[in-house]
Amino acid sequence: MNNEPVIQCRDLTHGYGKRLIYEHLSFDVPRGRILGLLGKNGTGKTTTINLLSGYLKPRGGQCLVFGEDVQAMPPHLRRRIGLLIEGHVQYTFMNIEQIERFYAQFYPRWNRDAYYELMRRLQVAPGQRISRMSCGQRSQVALGLILAQDPELLILDDFSLGLDPGYRRLFVDYLSDYARSGGKTVFLTSHIIQDMERLIDDCIILDYGRILVQSPVRELLGTLRRFTCTVPDGYEWTADDPELYHPSVLHGRAEGYTFLPEEELTLRLATRHVPCRDLACEPVTNLEDAFIGLTGKY
Amino acid sequence: MIRFSKYLLAFYAAVLVVWIVPWAYQFLGSRAAKTPFVLYSSVIGDFALLDHADGKAVRRDLQGREYIEQEFDSILPLFYYRQLIADGRLPAEVDGVSISPKLLQTENFLFRHTPTDCNKPRIGLYPLLESRSGRVDLEMPGDVFRITGQGMEFIDMERNAVNQEKSALFTKALQRKDFAFPARIVAGNPTVRKDYDEGYLLLDSAGRLYHFKQVVGRPFVRPVPLLEGVDVRHIFLTEFRNRKTLAFVADGQGHLYALLARSYTLQRLPVEHCDPGRQRISIIGNPVDWTISLCDEQGNTAYYAVDAGDYHLLKAWDSPADPPSLAERISHWLLPVRLTFTSPQDKWVKPRLAFGE
Amino acid sequence: MEQSLHPLLPDCIGTSFRGLGRLPIFYKEWLKTRWYCLAALAVTWGFTGYCLLRIGRVVRLMGAEHLWLVMLERDAIFIEPLIFVPLIAGALLALVQFAPEMLQSRLKLTLHLPCSHTRMVAAMLGYGLLVLAGCFASCFALMGGYLHGILPAELRAHVLLTALTWHVAGLAAYLLGAWVCLEPTWKRRAVNLLVSACLLRVFFLSTVPEAYNPFLPLLVVCTLSLAVLPQLSVWRFKAGKQDS
Repeated sequence: MNNEPVIQCRDLTHGYGKRLIYEHLSFDVPRGRILGLLGKNGTGKTTTINLLSGYLKPRGGQCLVFGEDVQAMPPHLRRRIGLLIEGHVQYTFMNIEQIERFYAQFYPRWNRDAYYELMRRLQVAPGQRISRMSCGQRSQVALGLILAQDPELLILDDFSLGLDPGYRRLFVDYLSDYARSGGKTVFLTSHIIQDMERLIDDCIILDYGRILVQSPVRELLGTLRRFTCTVPDGYEWTADDPELYHPSVLHGRAEGYTFLPEEELTLRLATRHVPCRDLACEPVTNLEDAFIGLTGKY
Repeated sequence: MIRFSKYLLAFYAAVLVVWIVPWAYQFLGSRAAKTPFVLYSSVIGDFALLDHADGKAVRRDLQGREYIEQEFDSILPLFYYRQLIADGRLPAEVDGVSISPKLLQTENFLFRHTPTDCNKPRIGLYPLLESRSGRVDLEMPGDVFRITGQGMEFIDMERNAVNQEKSALFTKALQRKDFAFPARIVAGNPTVRKDYDEGYLLLDSAGRLYHFKQVVGRPFVRPVPLLEGVDVRHIFLTEFRNRKTLAFVADGQGHLYALLARSYTLQRLPVEHCDPGRQRISIIGNPVDWTISLCDEQGNTAYYAVDAGDYHLLKAWDSPADPPSLAERISHWLLPVRLTFTSPQDKWVKPRLAFGE
Repeated sequence: MEQSLHPLLPDCIGTSFRGLGRLPIFYKEWLKTRWYCLAALAVTWGFTGYCLLRIGRVVRLMGAEHLWLVMLERDAIFIEPLIFVPLIAGALLALVQFAPEMLQSRLKLTLHLPCSHTRMVAAMLGYGLLVLAGCFASCFALMGGYLHGILPAELRAHVLLTALTWHVAGLAAYLLGAWVCLEPTWKRRAVNLLVSACLLRVFFLSTVPEAYNPFLPLLVVCTLSLAVLPQLSVWRFKAGKQDS
């Protein structure tokens, strides 16, 4: 099997009007991995999805999917990519049978059973139009259609939008099972990070204008630490260090995140003349904490 | 495909600009063109003009003499005869011709033509009235005719079916006079709002002219001799009360003729460059003289006074159009290409481009 | 290169379709617009029928003779109520067919299907044009059939050729409507709407029957050429143009 990354983005630069979203952004997504793109609102998650699915022309840079430029996005390339549009958008004027019949014509490897297996779990009548379904039911229809088309790459934009916890769990479990058993590559975004943690292998954390971190989730959680220490009353954190993420002081306690080992952190604080006592470090155990630690609360 | 779409959009945008911008300019800055009323006066031997300036009527002649209203009535007694009768001032004779109200009622006529009368969609169906029904009032017939390459067909309107018998009768009558089907021109006034009916003048496909009407249910066909080289383009059946003329005829050389009713001769009128396809034509006639005016699209008007007896030219006057206003000149300079779809000269809708002045 | 499921036919419209004909894009468009299509058919037939009833009434009350002479003398054609019906039918079809595609960027779904975008948009427009042409043709058949018994060929042509201009305007309104609806930004959409309104004005510059006869062939060609404009809107959509 070809070991070339499924997605290769090089030097992506984009913005809207005078507002620059990011500049010279580069990342790869290896084959068979599930990668989550995390970022606060406005950091460019949807922009990246749009660039990857060929619905946006970047100001600079290039995205290759399966080695081909997505700007051209020829039909055979689209056939290999399953795309979930934000909000589980589908043709709401069709019912579940009609929409299956419609899509089946375009995909030679169409797996009708995969679609109907998922549909059986939904309490919907075969003739019920998608417009009359709940958001959760619609998400299952959209997922079923993507699974049936049997793509090699799945691009999912905010799959958890509008779903209650049950449907979110159903979606995640189904997708995870499907992707891992089939060796699929998945690129997804979600605003609910807990869902991602159950699903993704790797993550990219976007900050305004740049990538903060790209690493396997396990590695991220193994190396990121939350540190706390006591500082004098009225102390304001002024030390500027790119390896200390979002240090803050509240009621005489300082708090921050870092990838540095404890010894090196102690040394670093001393050289920066931070008057701290009782330094304590603890590993970050979940992705949401890691995300907030790295991107800040505001 | 995208490049083609962009070019096409640019093309349509350009079309809209050269169409709408000049239109908007003209719409906002247009002024009404006023042409004076001009009539030849045998009394003064000159054209008399009724013009408007600053909202007031100005009556004058070409020499520049001005007239008050009563004077103007007097120099045009054959036109304003009803006013003169009311004033008790109608002269007994004008230019050696004895005048009576009855004579004037019969002899005076007004002929008007605009280019749109001939430049418009036509339906090739014509009602043929009975020209000698024995009744005072004319009546519309129950059928209409068409002229095909093979002959004449009468279609019964109530049944929407061809009346074979009548069609054969009339076709034979035309064929007997060597009429070459189909007809190039079918000219008539199929209406009951006239004093009598003269049927139609037909120009056959060989360029020969025929007078054709229905007399007591039978066809009347009479060839009209044309002079060598007369290439008839327009025919206007007159049906005036005086019954002296049968029609006005214009040819391709810019000549205008009166087709005289009794002799069936074409009398050439002393006018030049007559083109009914492009000119408004008016002929105001009385027992003494006719005033003929030919006005083109720009407003250049030629006036001719013609003797009503022997049709010789009494006087001619060319009145050129007003020079374009500053606004018009600026617009032509600013908007060198102009597109219009309609025209005062015809009733068709089609693209017409104009460039520069 | 594109891989067509069927070697001889374009992949978006040419694959065999389980019991539903051969045209998946047509199938989708039909599901989306069928109620509108039936309503449009009912309304256009209704208006056409109303005009024909008016003609029938004149014949009944005054006789065919009166009808013919009024048509000949006064240039009446009795189908004036139809004038804007095709225009509205075309514009509304564009709205019904393409406005839902632009809600929530649903057009992305269609454009993500593995088939040439140009052909896909062409298939969508082709569907609309076929539906409209079918609807209009049925109205012409209705008029032609009814008038056949009452009017001679010249007067029938007089009525139908006049109506033809209005129906071509309906097709133009559909294509321009698609161009406006598919445009991704509101600013540009307003411009497109203005341009469309001006272009459609060309069809209604004269009420004289048959006034468009010499222009009609060119008008038909120009109308069909408008089918490339929605491609421009889709191209802008794909480039991610949006209101900033």
